[in-house]
Amino acid sequence: MENSRKRVAVLASAGLLGNFENKKSLEEIIFDASKKVLDSLGLTIEDIDSLVLAGQDEIDGRVISIMPSTGPAGGVGKDTTLIASSSDHALIYGYLRLLAGQGKNVLVMGWAKPSESVDPDRAELMSCEPFLLRRIGMNNTIAAALQASKLVSQGLETSNSTGKLAWPLGDRDLPARGDSVYALVLAVEGSFTPGDEIAWIEDAGWTTMSYELGARDINDFSALKIAIEQISNRSPHATSKNWHAIEIAGDSEYVVRSVSREFELKSGVEINKSGALADLPTSPFVSGLARMVMAIDRIKHLPKGGNMVAGIGFNGFAGQGAAVVVFSGSKGE
Amino acid sequence: MTLDNVGIIGFGQSKFVKTRIDVTFPELVREGATMALENAEISIDDVDAVVYPLAPDALIGVGNGERWVIDALGAVGKPFMRVNNGGATGMSAVLTAWTHIASGLFDVVLVAGADRVSESSSAQSVLNKMWDVGYERPVPLNTITMLALSAQRYMHLYDSDETDMAMVSVKNRYHASLNPNAHLQSTVTIEEVLASRTLAWPIKLMDACPASTGAAGLVLVSERYAKKNGLKPAWIRGLGQNSETYWMGNRVGPKAMGDHADADALAVAFQRAYDQAGITNPREQVDVAEIYAPFSSVELHVIEAAGIADKGKSPAALANGDYTLGGNGVTVNPSGGTQCTNPIAVTGLIRVGEAANQVLGLAGAHQVKGARVAIASAIGGDHQFYSTMVICSDLEEI
Amino acid sequence: MTEAKFYEQTWDLQYKHALGETTSRFLEGLTQQKIWGRRTTDGRVLVPARSYDDQTHMPTGEWVEVGNSGTIEMFTIVYEPFKGLPVPPYALVYVLLEGADTALVGYLKGLDLKNQKDAIAALGIGTKVYVHFSKTPVGSAADYWFELSK
Repeated sequence: MENSRKRVAVLASAGLLGNFENKKSLEEIIFDASKKVLDSLGLTIEDIDSLVLAGQDEIDGRVISIMPSTGPAGGVGKDTTLIASSSDHALIYGYLRLLAGQGKNVLVMGWAKPSESVDPDRAELMSCEPFLLRRIGMNNTIAAALQASKLVSQGLETSNSTGKLAWPLGDRDLPARGDSVYALVLAVEGSFTPGDEIAWIEDAGWTTMSYELGARDINDFSALKIAIEQISNRSPHATSKNWHAIEIAGDSEYVVRSVSREFELKSGVEINKSGALADLPTSPFVSGLARMVMAIDRIKHLPKGGNMVAGIGFNGFAGQGAAVVVFSGSKGE
Repeated sequence: MTLDNVGIIGFGQSKFVKTRIDVTFPELVREGATMALENAEISIDDVDAVVYPLAPDALIGVGNGERWVIDALGAVGKPFMRVNNGGATGMSAVLTAWTHIASGLFDVVLVAGADRVSESSSAQSVLNKMWDVGYERPVPLNTITMLALSAQRYMHLYDSDETDMAMVSVKNRYHASLNPNAHLQSTVTIEEVLASRTLAWPIKLMDACPASTGAAGLVLVSERYAKKNGLKPAWIRGLGQNSETYWMGNRVGPKAMGDHADADALAVAFQRAYDQAGITNPREQVDVAEIYAPFSSVELHVIEAAGIADKGKSPAALANGDYTLGGNGVTVNPSGGTQCTNPIAVTGLIRVGEAANQVLGLAGAHQVKGARVAIASAIGGDHQFYSTMVICSDLEEI
Repeated sequence: MTEAKFYEQTWDLQYKHALGETTSRFLEGLTQQKIWGRRTTDGRVLVPARSYDDQTHMPTGEWVEVGNSGTIEMFTIVYEPFKGLPVPPYALVYVLLEGADTALVGYLKGLDLKNQKDAIAALGIGTKVYVHFSKTPVGSAADYWFELSK
């Protein structure tokens, strides 16, 4: 017996950001963000059916981050899962849970507190396979530079950014680093008063490509292409040429600038209107979720009826994985 | 509640051992994926999405280790995510896969992985880092001490002793001797268990699980896919997860939500699964339980949390021959359980696979005769995260 | 056939964990021979002090100084050596201090652990203990431990 797909909405989102949060512990800022989003809806944790969390152990210095974070997030007594591959995946899994009928709502949280890491680049080095890559040395910045250099060789203009850190990247090309926690409440249609939603989720696509940097074309955006294809196949109205705005994370501005070259987009589409990568502190693990929250926020700035927005995130070196969530301001277009 | 039922059509697992020096970690993961696909009689091209279980990165020594094994899993270009719920990871990943299918978006999902716990010579000090930064790390808490504390409290509250724990070890080792994949396959006697050296009182060496290496995988399918392809899966009839407070100090004293001696939060998780499956009397309706218990003492209160015995009463039933293959009532851990095989990232997955094998009549020498309804559970964190499932050979009323 | 080879790696990641005001105050209290708890909205005193309660999902409020003596709620004696952890044997206890509703973990020192049976009997649940403070505190949880009350 086949039912048509349920509609899932975002009721609220909250973000807590800090360049270097040394007054509060990670657990405390998780608690604050959870309370913030619940308070904004006039809800308590009693009203939440389940939680999906996302944290990265090496950046935060925890082993099994779900252990200290579940309590402050509000997970005691509740079904709580930690999605460890990226915080965008946590949002997507929350969405899947509601499609599957597992409750009427879900609290999704993702975070990273790189200020606790004395050397976050070194933490990234630990994600290298231990046999060759770690000995040679790789991290997000270097991988982003490799990718950018390939894009330049294919005709993308270099940027104006001075003080090249890893050619061709300069400091304005790279994302700023900071601590952040995001919390969202998703709910299934019929469980809330119509009009209370701030965005509908149209669809989501996600995939991960080969680990070895040498085994893939790091400038062909294959992960992102496949993710967008998944959406186009399932929900043709939500395809990239219908997006009015895009909020995209990326390991460098070269990635952001490539999006319009690589994909069929609407003319006049707004890209990263919320701010450049260098202006909005984040951390790779949570950067996609951050842009998804910003994408949701863009909707109210767009004219009614022209309000489909995509939030895009990456994970792994040079965008090994990509995730896309398409939001809209009204039910179906 | 759901659009479609979800079933298990393939389960593969290694022969578990202490170390495997013949393979890299990705090669080991590949074994898990390959065995699952072979058992399901499908190819990776038939798989719509992959969910990957991996507990602490620190144990395999690669941060975000899931990215390293994408190719080994055959997941390149497919929707992919990784779950980490501590020791419950293997089962949480299966539940995540269930959600993928029940959402209606996917028909075939692969869950496969591996662990090599002994590769990190510092496993217990790695696990010391799961404790609170400010308060608990200077004190030597790890998985062994935390479970020793729970065992000690159980003994105190229910007038139980180390012999009760030893009986669990004897039973599980006997079961494992019939399981060609189990890590520890030699039987033991109560005397041998009691004489084995103490790790952290009352946990002795023979009460504890080994650090295992190996791989395992499962293939889940939607009901419509099963029907279309004429498959007879082991059906997932119920599932439930729950979490408890992280603070062990909160689990004692008159104002505690649940005592550290018990597993009340696990009982809640079981109840969620039972409600979904329509189980009202587990003692009568359940044939087999594959329940995660890395130490003998843990099994006692998990049996009780599953509603198979009243609190404090499982030792007496065990002494009576219950829970053992060929004995009365529910057979508990006919595979030997986590106590005999513990590759952390996939331990929870193996419980599901073993339960599925039981209801499909595929468990070989450790088969429970006529098993139709099985339960499976897993525990993560400091007895903090609980996953439970009800698995049945058919979709009729239980 | 090539012999199996191994590559040894060590993770040496360093962290500077922000403790927050509440934990910081608790640790400072140890240097003053005080144990601080915080009261939850449902009236429980959490020890060690935490700025929020995970059971009610609410911030905690009042600071409460709890007593320096209490009873053992659970214990273990560790015999197995673990890398990076102290040389065994040692006893670990959770103690419910006077006025606290949750138990505090710590070492129990000053007890002869050579005879396991005697040590277990001496540490039974309900045994009275008191808190000892280091004379040279460093502001960490290593600044306190428990000893049996005479």
